[in-house]
Amino acid sequence: MMRRLFTAGALAIAIALCAGAPRAQAQADATGFIAQLGGQAIQVLGPGVPASERLARFRQLFQNDFDVPGIGQFVLGRYWRTATPQEQQEFLGLFQEYIVEAYSARLGQYGGEPFRVTGNRPSGGDIVVTSQIIQKSGAPIEVDWYLIQAGGGFKITDVYVGGVSMKVTERDEFGAVIQRNGGQIAPLLAQLRQKIQR
Amino acid sequence: MYLCFTRFARAERMLTVALGLAVCALFYAVPAHAQQQPAAPVAVAPPGPGEAEANDPFEKTNRAIFDFNNQVDKIVLVPVANAYRGVLPEPVRDSIHSVLQNLDEPIIFANDVLQARPDLASTTLARFVVNSTIGLGGIFDVASKTNLPFHSNDLGVTFAVWGFGEGPYLMLPILGPSNVRDAIGEGGDAYGDPGNIVASDNHYLWATFARGATQGVDERSRNIETLADIERTSLDYYATIRSLYRQRRAAEIRHEQSNTPNVGPLQGGSDAVTAPISYQVAPAPGAPPR
Repeated sequence: MMRRLFTAGALAIAIALCAGAPRAQAQADATGFIAQLGGQAIQVLGPGVPASERLARFRQLFQNDFDVPGIGQFVLGRYWRTATPQEQQEFLGLFQEYIVEAYSARLGQYGGEPFRVTGNRPSGGDIVVTSQIIQKSGAPIEVDWYLIQAGGGFKITDVYVGGVSMKVTERDEFGAVIQRNGGQIAPLLAQLRQKIQR
Repeated sequence: MYLCFTRFARAERMLTVALGLAVCALFYAVPAHAQQQPAAPVAVAPPGPGEAEANDPFEKTNRAIFDFNNQVDKIVLVPVANAYRGVLPEPVRDSIHSVLQNLDEPIIFANDVLQARPDLASTTLARFVVNSTIGLGGIFDVASKTNLPFHSNDLGVTFAVWGFGEGPYLMLPILGPSNVRDAIGEGGDAYGDPGNIVASDNHYLWATFARGATQGVDERSRNIETLADIERTSLDYYATIRSLYRQRRAAEIRHEQSNTPNVGPLQGGSDAVTAPISYQVAPAPGAPPR
């Protein structure tokens, strides 16, 4: 189960990587935005892409197409309010690099499974585009994309893979680190720094 | 004489369940002392809306068991899973996987019924019939190829559907992440499983253990890279696994495999199914095309 989820997660990221290309379509509609990404992902991120290339592309596109400040603020949760502005800024920078490094490794697991958009629905202020990754064997994996409209296009605020939210997972993890350090943010930043430099 | 045997068999079955429950009870009871200790002075800021607590009052014990499990995992499970993958080719492993799945179908069916889901129950029944016959006992998962996709179900989900809460998070030795509700459910599923009943009525208790062990190896062999990757990249492996488990179980309770709309737990507002809307975004006046 876990492996399927993360293969799907890898594809989700792979698709996000290609978000830079189809901006014109992004203005048209959210479904088109994600569908276009799916088509591009397979070309741009075939299993043959070298790891360093993947990392560089991912860094750029995560910045461009994900709502990094929004996600970062969500992930820090209640601790965002108690953090100083410097801590907030430093956190966003470290968080971004951490996500890029952690997930670009997972991209290697994506083997080019077919992807199709199945529909969309509103959810709060977000637009949710639902999609499926078709596996060789077993049931398709459901991947839900949460999008907000921003600057005439879309930004991705979260990705649900098989019912598991990426940003909730990160928040739970970071929250545990902060709690175990007596509610202090500095140790989390130190751990992130260490993780990135390795 | 016969009566005597059945009673004996029943006792065996009871023993298996009792063992399972005892394990749960042990870890439910032991940390109760720990719980009385004053909580670490953390809560600097109160949780915001939608920020659920991890419901993990036995975290200290759970983390100790988690560390133990990881040791066992590294020393025993991963090497065995690697060997399993090295020795048997993928089609054979896939067949073993679907045979195990097929053995689970009766208890899945029972839970589908207990949850009053005729749609799921009929799929499970059809799958079991097709795979047990044409699929040669599940060696070939014919059902999945004929639009009868597999879904899992268990007593923990049934309890949740009936309205029971999950209870404290539990890390079970060897068995891994669970909670009070799911642990009891697992015991109940094992007790009610027709395969186990047949095995214990015929004094083939080893068959039940062999099946469990094979299931463990099968599951682990499918997760080697994923779990290694999560462990490598996470800041707090325990907390990440806890989060993944709880989210995944919540999704299973919603029966999300069938693409039913999920309630974003953090988006707040209701996600009732609404008519598809068009997202034509009019370009803002004067906005440069990107």
